[in-house]
Amino acid sequence: MTQELTVMMLTWEFPPRIIGGISPHVYHLSKSLAKNGVKVYIVTCDFPGAPQHEVIDDVEIFRIDSYKNPSPDFATWVYLMNINMQKEAAALMNSLNEKVDIFHAHDWLVANAGIGLKHVFRKPFLATIHSTEVGRRDGIHYDYERMIHETEAWLTYEAWKVICCSNYMVSHVLWAFGVPEDKLVMIPNGVNAQEYSKNSDLNQFRRKFALPNEKIALYVGRLVYEKGIHVFVNAIPKVLERVNAKFIIVGNGYMKEPLSNLVKNIGLAHKVMFTGFVDDETLRNLQKCADVSVIPSLFEPFGIVALEAMAAKSPAVVSDTGGLAEIIEHDMTGVKAYPDNPDSLAWGITKVLLDGNYAETIRNNAYRKVQEKYNWDKISQQTKAVYEAVLKEYSKSPWT
Amino acid sequence: MRVIILSWEFPPRIVGQLADYVKELAVQLVKRNVETYVVTYHDFLTGQHDEPVGIKTYRVANPVRTHIGVLTWVLTLNQEVERVAANIYYKTNKQMDLIDVHDWHFIQAAVTLKKAFDLPFVYSVESLEEHRSHNADTPFNMAIKSIEWLGLYEAKKVIVKSKWMRDELKRIYKVPIDKIKVIAPKSKTWIGSILESYNSVIGGATHN
Repeated sequence: MTQELTVMMLTWEFPPRIIGGISPHVYHLSKSLAKNGVKVYIVTCDFPGAPQHEVIDDVEIFRIDSYKNPSPDFATWVYLMNINMQKEAAALMNSLNEKVDIFHAHDWLVANAGIGLKHVFRKPFLATIHSTEVGRRDGIHYDYERMIHETEAWLTYEAWKVICCSNYMVSHVLWAFGVPEDKLVMIPNGVNAQEYSKNSDLNQFRRKFALPNEKIALYVGRLVYEKGIHVFVNAIPKVLERVNAKFIIVGNGYMKEPLSNLVKNIGLAHKVMFTGFVDDETLRNLQKCADVSVIPSLFEPFGIVALEAMAAKSPAVVSDTGGLAEIIEHDMTGVKAYPDNPDSLAWGITKVLLDGNYAETIRNNAYRKVQEKYNWDKISQQTKAVYEAVLKEYSKSPWT
Repeated sequence: MRVIILSWEFPPRIVGQLADYVKELAVQLVKRNVETYVVTYHDFLTGQHDEPVGIKTYRVANPVRTHIGVLTWVLTLNQEVERVAANIYYKTNKQMDLIDVHDWHFIQAAVTLKKAFDLPFVYSVESLEEHRSHNADTPFNMAIKSIEWLGLYEAKKVIVKSKWMRDELKRIYKVPIDKIKVIAPKSKTWIGSILESYNSVIGGATHN
């Protein structure tokens, strides 16, 4: 037995490979776990220019050769990639003399590899469910979606504990897969507030995006239906009736073209800016400059972008749904609007932009809350406690 | 000697010629005092069945019921094969000699078990994607070919049933010819040659 608690984490994305929220989540979680005395091995997909093996702040990262041939579809690619991930992780376990206590998988994207490793090495296996197919698609409509849905169900079935990042996701997973309640654990997501604390003069930067007399309303996220970006765009004319503002939309997605055409057709192209993807520093500076951050999601398991806005001291206007509904207290740490309702969203944005005192109160309350509740040190300690509880149960359970 | 055979078809589930071949192989191995475990698929006859002839058969079902094709179906079935094969491995106190995997379906399981336990495997080729889907090079075919390639690369020995197949493996996958053993199924020396191949892979003393 090793003295040190050791975990092998499987994730399809880890910086510099960033596709969605899992990559920064695993990055911060693993670094904070290492600070709290947990040895972490990350097994993840390769990325151009990133080394196959590296150590960052005591976290050991192994990048596997992900499947490179053209693939019939995304899900098939995921399963094919898992062949290599499982193979490499098994070889790594062998070379470590199996001195790993726990496997921890993030989402169905690494379900196959994780489940196989669990049975081959007979170690306890945990899963974090960041999102679900039934939530992303607002229902299951095709066999392709059902296959992913059932893979997610299989993952929660095989996991010793299932970690979700919000109470909303706990009840969602309970409903979607029928997971026993005592297998579910809520540990919130976090944000690194220090990344926003650098003091720099942003006047020059701001000028690239907006005129001095324009307020900035910022959207950050994929431009897809579930994020409610169309609700935001529909709210823009209503806000402009009362406030002079620039609307900046960061991110890409299949709705980008139809939405930018819509903006042109209603004659607001000069008021709305689609930036596409931007680098981390630009993003943080934009968030710091934003007079309001708008998060109009229709489905939102957690809503990390709300935490980022809070850390950047940008008042958040969110739709009252999912994880967002838990993060934000109305009139205290942000503004809640009715989901899928452009009038309500416009009302919230206008209120923040016109009432300076109100905005300032929200800014301060929100910043205090992210520091108290959503800091990675605390989150990693909660995660470590789950590992320890599982290992205690495991030590008393024969594996037959 | 102790062997785990992985095959996606085994009686009563018969898809093609492979099921009867693998059954006959297992029967003959048992007759030669080889402790023979067969891990295979069945939709509902799951679990362990000791056959009268002495074969220990384990059947697994697919944990993911809905699929978009045979490829994804195979890819979510492998973890169950791994689970059962690992259970056999632990139940025999890790005293397993080798795995014999038939065709591409359970290559993933064979490779993972090899990496995990240094357990060598033989890849027995019944047919290849190149011939099943002649001249087809869609992403679907390429994926199956990449799995066949992985099996050929990681296998300690490749057993084929004809010289023609040996030459095809050399032509399509550039497999070194001395890695391939041609053993004709109906010949008198068939099971003796199989055992010889197994022994050459195991190298030293066997576990049973």
